[in-house]
Amino acid sequence: MANRRAVIVGGMRTPFAKAFTELMELDTIALGAAATSALLRKLDLPAKEIDAVVWSGVVLPPLSVNIGREIVLDLGLPTSIDGMTVTRACASGLQAITSGVSAIERGDADVVIAGGSDSTSNAPITFPTKVTRTLAPLALSGKATPQDVLGALAQLMPLSEILPRQPRVAERTTGEVMGESAERMAQRNEISRHAQDELALRSHQRAARAIATGIFDDEVAKIETPAGFVHVDSLVRADTSLEKLAKLKPVFAKGGTITAGNATALTDGAAAVVLMSEDKARALGYTPLAAFRSWSYIAVDPADQLLIGPAIAVPRALEKAGLELSQVDVVDMHEAFAAQVLSVLKMLGSAAFARERLGRERAVGEIDPEKMNIYGGSIAIGHPFAATGARIVTTLANELHRSQKQTALLGICAAGGLGAAAVLERV
Amino acid sequence: MTDVLLELGKNPLARKLVQSAKLPIPMPQRLSRLSGARAERFLEGQSVLVSGAGQLSDVIARTLSRAGATSHLDSAALAQAFAPAAEAYGRPTKLVVADEGAAAAQAQAFVVDATALSGPADLKALYTFLHNYLPRLARSGRVVIVGRPVEEARSALVASARAALDGFTRSLAKELGGKGSTANLVYVSEGAEERTGAVLRFLLSHASAFVTAQPLRVTGLAAWSGEDPWSKPLSNKVALVTGSARGIGEATARVLAAEGAHVVCLDRPDDDEPLSLVAREIGGQPLLCDVLDPNAGALIASELKKLHGGVDIVVHNAGITRDRTLARMPESNWDQVIGINLEAVLRITDTLLNEGTLRDNGRIVSLASISGIAGNTGQTNYAASKAGVIGFTRALATQLAGRGITVNAVAPGFIETRMTAAVPVVVREAGRRLSALGQGGQPEDVGRAIAFFAEPGSAGVTGQVLRVCGGALLGA
Repeated sequence: MANRRAVIVGGMRTPFAKAFTELMELDTIALGAAATSALLRKLDLPAKEIDAVVWSGVVLPPLSVNIGREIVLDLGLPTSIDGMTVTRACASGLQAITSGVSAIERGDADVVIAGGSDSTSNAPITFPTKVTRTLAPLALSGKATPQDVLGALAQLMPLSEILPRQPRVAERTTGEVMGESAERMAQRNEISRHAQDELALRSHQRAARAIATGIFDDEVAKIETPAGFVHVDSLVRADTSLEKLAKLKPVFAKGGTITAGNATALTDGAAAVVLMSEDKARALGYTPLAAFRSWSYIAVDPADQLLIGPAIAVPRALEKAGLELSQVDVVDMHEAFAAQVLSVLKMLGSAAFARERLGRERAVGEIDPEKMNIYGGSIAIGHPFAATGARIVTTLANELHRSQKQTALLGICAAGGLGAAAVLERV
Repeated sequence: MTDVLLELGKNPLARKLVQSAKLPIPMPQRLSRLSGARAERFLEGQSVLVSGAGQLSDVIARTLSRAGATSHLDSAALAQAFAPAAEAYGRPTKLVVADEGAAAAQAQAFVVDATALSGPADLKALYTFLHNYLPRLARSGRVVIVGRPVEEARSALVASARAALDGFTRSLAKELGGKGSTANLVYVSEGAEERTGAVLRFLLSHASAFVTAQPLRVTGLAAWSGEDPWSKPLSNKVALVTGSARGIGEATARVLAAEGAHVVCLDRPDDDEPLSLVAREIGGQPLLCDVLDPNAGALIASELKKLHGGVDIVVHNAGITRDRTLARMPESNWDQVIGINLEAVLRITDTLLNEGTLRDNGRIVSLASISGIAGNTGQTNYAASKAGVIGFTRALATQLAGRGITVNAVAPGFIETRMTAAVPVVVREAGRRLSALGQGGQPEDVGRAIAFFAEPGSAGVTGQVLRVCGGALLGA
């Protein structure tokens, strides 16, 4: 019988860089193309074998939303390769991958490139509706003279009303900036500043060690930009310390706990994986690294605890996989904010949460810090929203293969009160 | 009919003037009410002061934490009892401090667990706690006292302490009415603790804006699966509301629909137009039928079966008044009032039960009246019919408990409707002001109480008459 199980054959990403720095000149499509081409080079994958590119993005380029297709065309890949783009806030990257897995496992495709990219540096600045409604008809008419435009602008006084809006990572329904949500979670779950800084420090130290020991050499490609080559993740601070982190000022609330040091920074970057049916992988001579055993997407009320989703998605994914948390060998928990990770961990370890919110008798379990984010997490490495899914899947798949571990778990929180989790197993 | 004093009271300046000049004019407080469905976290960001580590701690803790409240507790023992729920819902508790002064958070509600009373001496704790902290209670605030039933007391000593809660709560309600706040008492039978959640949610939320000075009993009488949805609790339920073209019936239909029910709106064929409008607006269905028609029950049963395979919630609201003092009352007044208000209720209920139209775990809620409890000049017919409804409610509750069906009644006090607008002005003013809240209720207030009885989680409450009267003096 044909083995239609989808397997991860390999993954690659660009270095992750703080927004408005080294990668600024590359928009989200260029970043996606860079990661994809690096991946194809690394695997020496013949382009003709690719059925589709399933891409993802959070800050989508307004004039060409379907990044997946643009990557195919920009890279000069066969025009017959299908391209699509999904979006699910910070779970977008994982969504692209599980969509690819689904397509392979139901027989729609044999080889899929799945990934995601985001360039906060190239986020479109939007004008207030008043400006759009006044100027767009002129622009669309194609016949407007400069005088017409000036005349229209005169109607838009006072100027303060028509200045471009600062883009904010704010919930549409609650108006709350994500950091404020995380700050409330820190208070509600009684997560101390110290615990947050410790988690951030560990993230940086582990990421720095992974870079220094070459763990990431297999999964991070050097990228060419108009200003030169970018080789390495630039947010990682090998030299940070609890003292340095403790000096940073809270950003979202007076007397708050969340600082630039224990939260993710706005980041540019892209990541991609190649998925194949197991038969196809073997036929092409590839060594499958890992496969998905289960996944779970859930949602909670964004007005309550916006980023608590993984505390519900993780037990669901484990249950589908028929596993207990204690049986998992390695965990990657997306670090949007240290406070959010620690809130999720606290709830996973809480019997009361299990009873009240999950309908289970016992707590899901504790996660050994030695098993979690062993090569650092999003706080240190960075979080180009849609790229994080493929970054985590790649690191976990490589770790399962390299260390001959059996199962891996990942959890991701996302705007809108979304939560995602997945269980991977070594092939 | 506009309540002039209530309107005047909305103006802060006028309010101050009347109060500082000590004018003999009552200044009723505008009540906070819900709009639409009750939110899952209806106490989000609010402070609630809790006293008494009794047997209800766990339910109180889970209710408050899930509702989004920050609980301020008066003892370390209580803090321990609250810890699991506080953790599960991310709502750390605080210990209440006596001398916080102006820094003290205003409290939306007080909850006192008095289930552990062992004698009158224990009442002192109730006095001390409320005496110390009550000034912190917000406008339209809530006080809920939970105790054990007097009948279940094993000694006269305990019984006296439990009964004392009733007089205490009724008096407190009168004192709080001027601020638009309410005080109510819940007697919870042993073993019925888990059934108290829905009652607490009703009494702590703005759904109970016009309910004050009332005791509610929670028992294990009716069968219950444990089903207790918090938001849109009436989803997937079919409700029948008689007399829903206008007034309390219309408001009830709207509230039930807002809480998720599919509502079949019944009224007389003459009221086709307003009835159809209501039904259309709430996504329900009109059912034209005269409840006096001997075949009304059969018609209703067959329509409900045909349309929905049955019914879950039956609200007997249709009712009339034909007031005359007894000596002058024509026979037709008697016959019509008894016929519509009582006999039709019995007949229709009988048919729905015999035909198997009312499903298991169903809810029957009937409209009684303060008149049925207190009596009223010119209303021998009306008061007889409404007192009859109370008898019907109590008897049927026992009969249907095994099927998980609860049977309750609401007894509205002075509600601002077409019916009360027609009352002479002096009587109307008396009706409004002779109550703890000093104003008339809205039809919606009665609808909210009915929606509470209709919830799956309210299985602990059956055979009861809840006054929605703003703490009216009549018959209290």
